[in-house]
Amino acid sequence: MISLAGRDIMHAWGKFVFTGLGLGLLIGVTLSMAGIYRGMVDDARALLDNSGADLWVVQKDTLGPYAEPSSIYDDVWRSIRGIQGVIRTANVTYLTMQVRQGERDVRAMITGITAGDPGTPGWPPYLIAGRHITRSHYEAVVDIATGFRIGDRFQIRRNHYTVVGLTRRMVSSSGDPIIFIPLKDARDAQFLKDNDAILQQHRRTTETLAFKPAGVLDAVLASQNANSYVNALLVQVEPGYRIEETAETIRRWKRLTVHTRTQMEEILVGKLIATSAKQIGMFLVILSIVSSAIVAFIIYTLTLGKIREIAVLKLIGTRNRTIAGMIMQQAIALGSIGFVVGKISATLLMAPIFPKYVLLEPLDSIRGFIVVIVICVLSSIFAIRAALKVDPAEAIGG
Amino acid sequence: MRLHLRTQTLALLAGIPLLLALFVYVSLRSGPLAPIPVTMSTVENRSIAPALFGIGTVEAQYTYRIGPTIAGRIKRLTVNVGDHVKAGQILGEMDPVDLDERIRSQDAAIRRTEAQLSEAEARLIYASTQTRRYEKLMAANSVSEEIAVGKKHELQLAEAGLNVAKGELARVRSDREALNAQRNNLNLIAPVNGLVAERSADPGTTVVAGQAVVELIDPRTLWVNVRFDQINAQGLKADLPAQIVLRSRMGQALGGRVLRVEPLADMVTEEMLAKVIFDQLPEPLPPVGELAEVTIDLPRLPPAPAILNAAIHRIDGKLGVWQVHNKKLQFIPVELGITDMEGNIQIRSGLKAGDSVVVYSAKPLNLKSRIRIVNSIPEKTR
Amino acid sequence: MSNKGIHIEMLQKRYGSGDTAVDALKRIDMQVDPGEVIGLIGPSGSGKSTLLKCLGAVIEPTAGRMTLGGQVIYDNGWKVNDLRALRRDRIGFIFQAPYLIPFLDVTDNVALLPMLAGQSNSEARAKARDLLKALDVDHRARAMPSHLSGGEQQRVAIARGLVNRPPVILADEPTAPLDSERALAVIRILNDMADKFETAIIVVTHDEKIIPTFKRIYHIRDGVTHEEAGEGRGFR
Repeated sequence: MISLAGRDIMHAWGKFVFTGLGLGLLIGVTLSMAGIYRGMVDDARALLDNSGADLWVVQKDTLGPYAEPSSIYDDVWRSIRGIQGVIRTANVTYLTMQVRQGERDVRAMITGITAGDPGTPGWPPYLIAGRHITRSHYEAVVDIATGFRIGDRFQIRRNHYTVVGLTRRMVSSSGDPIIFIPLKDARDAQFLKDNDAILQQHRRTTETLAFKPAGVLDAVLASQNANSYVNALLVQVEPGYRIEETAETIRRWKRLTVHTRTQMEEILVGKLIATSAKQIGMFLVILSIVSSAIVAFIIYTLTLGKIREIAVLKLIGTRNRTIAGMIMQQAIALGSIGFVVGKISATLLMAPIFPKYVLLEPLDSIRGFIVVIVICVLSSIFAIRAALKVDPAEAIGG
Repeated sequence: MRLHLRTQTLALLAGIPLLLALFVYVSLRSGPLAPIPVTMSTVENRSIAPALFGIGTVEAQYTYRIGPTIAGRIKRLTVNVGDHVKAGQILGEMDPVDLDERIRSQDAAIRRTEAQLSEAEARLIYASTQTRRYEKLMAANSVSEEIAVGKKHELQLAEAGLNVAKGELARVRSDREALNAQRNNLNLIAPVNGLVAERSADPGTTVVAGQAVVELIDPRTLWVNVRFDQINAQGLKADLPAQIVLRSRMGQALGGRVLRVEPLADMVTEEMLAKVIFDQLPEPLPPVGELAEVTIDLPRLPPAPAILNAAIHRIDGKLGVWQVHNKKLQFIPVELGITDMEGNIQIRSGLKAGDSVVVYSAKPLNLKSRIRIVNSIPEKTR
Repeated sequence: MSNKGIHIEMLQKRYGSGDTAVDALKRIDMQVDPGEVIGLIGPSGSGKSTLLKCLGAVIEPTAGRMTLGGQVIYDNGWKVNDLRALRRDRIGFIFQAPYLIPFLDVTDNVALLPMLAGQSNSEARAKARDLLKALDVDHRARAMPSHLSGGEQQRVAIARGLVNRPPVILADEPTAPLDSERALAVIRILNDMADKFETAIIVVTHDEKIIPTFKRIYHIRDGVTHEEAGEGRGFR
């Protein structure tokens, strides 16, 4: 037996391919949409992975440092480092801001990292060019998405930084590229006011009579400009110690809030991007409905265009099963073409132009394929019903 | 017509595998299944010159705060900020107010005391004459012993009076000299050759004793007070050569050397402090308080295997590098040595010169990662 | 009276019921022997189409008896179960327009029926090629129907009608779109085929050009058949 569906497709391949292309673009959009969601989740995960921490110590009763503001004293690490099971600690600050480079500016998350060797928590775990920070000031490792290149200089607040290393997929939970700079500089960027504000503050303090006695004024001014806060403390736990137990010790004795990796992921994925995720979920549902409507319509139209042939086929004794099979095969073929085109277009055309990361997971693709096929099969039911209703007598004129 | 049909069919038959091939390529070459591009580099035996990097401010070694020793009003001030002055130069003068009157009154007091002194002397001469006469008379029993004793007592009183008068004169004279000294001290005099850094009061202002009116610095003694993060300060000691970059003169490195490392570190900021002096003072002089970046060159180390710090990763708590053996990744723990400012880091153990290690990767690696060795990771990958 | 060919007795077809009932076929008696080509002529509304549909086993008569190729397919309410297989195996259809399947080439258009009947592709195609050769269109065997001329298309349609060697062929206005020369050629082919394969062929027509060629003609008027002798004129 020859494949009627195949012959029909080969015969009307132009119509078929172009319909498949159109459907493919729609499926591409759907896949990209799923990719955007996966990308958001992956952004959140990347942020956690890249920090290299087992525990995040933050201000008491906050969901910091990513979902809520948090600030803790910068010497908290000394007491936490002494807790059994803690092998490494590192202060870290996060600040999302516009970073200027000449005329343009780019939105980025400034991450202040503790000085040390590569592998210190908070450091970028891998680079794609350049080197890690070696000077304790005014050097930066930036994500490639900032558009900076090695050797570029850019400005954060009043200081200029030189790009010494590039990395990729280092993004904040909202997808902004990360700029790593030494912790002290980052703290200045976060807490230091602009020159005018400092001047005004000095003036006010100077005019306060209580500070008039010699020597007091200088001390007061110095204390105003000093800051001793960081946003969080990243903690690595020695292998062999239970992370949750160490976290509990810190919670209990240091009266700070401690998040584990799982809790952090829950906060980021479950709370920070939950609404966006639902938004995208709705979009996916709508796109699926639209896709199925389109597939149903296309298959239905294709079938109606062949009603005379179907009547003849029935008259000469073709079984209903064969005719239904032909229509369903065509629907599946259309879906497959659409899926292949969609996958290619999503990967090559759509994903790269989205400003945020689009992660096309193979498992999603497989799920997507199954859904497409199911949708095609369901959509072809209308066409099959129409075809089966055709009276073979119609072929006999009159 | 038939040929036309054939070409169409052929095109279609060729197109489908092409599409499928593209599909397979796209599925395997992008997204999570794609091999991770990595770049390799060879461990080289090289001598590295480690350096320390710190931030400091320009300060003067010595600051001379010049002010009056007594409270008073400033009469005149002849120098302004930025003036160079010489040692001994009069910078200004305090208003004497009533000092001259007080000196004249003191002169009068001296004269009065001198008069009192001569009166006491006269009294002493008279008393001693009387005493001698009554002694003779008593010896002749012409007067009673009582009277003679009385005269002797008068002599003693006269001697004491003279001593008091002498003392008083000395006191008054000293007071006069003190006023004189004050009168001379009204001039504000430069103790050294220097530069006027601050003029904090103007003529007419009343200042308290000890308050600085003019601040002098010695520009030849400018240094940079540098702070080094303690974690990066290994090997910091006096006499190391340094390069100083002033914030106002970026890109221009000035030579210098470490004068001393402060024995007290900053406990709060976890920094070490050091003083770095210029080999040759830059012209124009940098303002005190200007920010400076200081790089201290440590002595070159003997050659040892070294790699770029980008190759170092921490996996399961161990520092190490990724190596490729038979297209499979292996994690080799290493012990790190000294690093230089360009990111080259010496390897104490774990690697030897000639070994090939992964430097850059487009994604984090693990033992199961599929990799693809490339020359450089394209900057446009997202 | 042979039991092969077509044999119809007292066939009736009524549409609807009660007052609105319409008797499309009132009394149809027909006998077509194997190898015979007869004409079926009637004006519009005479019941010609209804008869054809009954003959083609796509609608069911209300009464009477019908035998195709020696098999009783309808007998006063009884009918064979698998009308589809019956149509496939026992009846060949030739239509006014060729109604070839546009997405199959000439060979496969013809070979489709044996394939549907379960024969292997190569077997079915061999049969088709034989027939196409017999009908002199084998040079277009690989062409698509849309690239054929009207006459060629009709010949392919005839080949399709014949390929399963059905005892009966129903031809519905097979010559309508053709000029007289080609129309006569079609009739000649039908006669040849009837001879060759012992097939009973009913040609429904009102084409004046070909009516004289039939030896026997059934006229149908108001649902009743009237048999008469045709001129049986040669067409060479």
